[in-house]
Amino acid sequence: MEMKVTETAEGVTHVALDGRFDIAGAQAVDGPFVELAEKANLLVIDLSKVNFLASLGVRTLMVTARTMIRRGGYIAVAGAEEGVEKVLRLTGFDELVGLYPDSGAAEHALLERAKEYANRKA
Amino acid sequence: MGSREFPGTLEAACDAELWVAGETGALGLAGDATFAINLCVEELFLNAVRHGHANRATISIWAEPDGPRLEFVDDGRPFDPTAAPVKRLHGPGADFEIGGFGAGLVQKFSRRMTYLRDDGVNRLVLEFDGGRAAPAGAAAAG
Repeated sequence: MEMKVTETAEGVTHVALDGRFDIAGAQAVDGPFVELAEKANLLVIDLSKVNFLASLGVRTLMVTARTMIRRGGYIAVAGAEEGVEKVLRLTGFDELVGLYPDSGAAEHALLERAKEYANRKA
Repeated sequence: MGSREFPGTLEAACDAELWVAGETGALGLAGDATFAINLCVEELFLNAVRHGHANRATISIWAEPDGPRLEFVDDGRPFDPTAAPVKRLHGPGADFEIGGFGAGLVQKFSRRMTYLRDDGVNRLVLEFDGGRAAPAGAAAAG
């Protein structure tokens, strides 16, 4: 599975995955996700080009989400197609992070949440 | 019917997924049935190897008039996935355990499961919804 990481001027890290998030796919991206979870504050994971997801892939996403949430970061998932979204909903991952139709909507939601949090702190 | 035996290793699980993709393609199954069968094979193989310590697993795939079937046979510890709890996260928060989702996914992605511990092996037959992919132009022809 291929993984492309980009960062916007607003500080949002975008991860675009491409391929099967199966055993081999999870093994390929586990390490990079551990690093991202420890340094990113706002993370959008684009799954629009992921055509398969099983529990090992969900585990990678959950470990990333748990690490980020504990650090006070925000995470969102974008573009999951039907089968992939079904896996995310059946495991309850959708209750942990937001699922959005595309990366733009996910980024907007994360920036709004970060802004709300900053306003509450001020 | 396509059938093949695999050694009980994670590397073989990857080989099994490739083989399953070929079998579901040869049967001309629709995308949702293909996704479901691939997912169930990965979850069952992982469980048999990691938790059941299986030395080998045999996978068979065939089509019935009411949908595809998958038989998964492994020589690991006795494990009945039909009786396994369906685990999922509930609500936001950072305090949750990760793992144990596979059996629940197999239950939810299959229409019916039949398990038998038989002569030292776990024998599981899964039935799936959905048949063959519609041929190109079928909708317009109707």
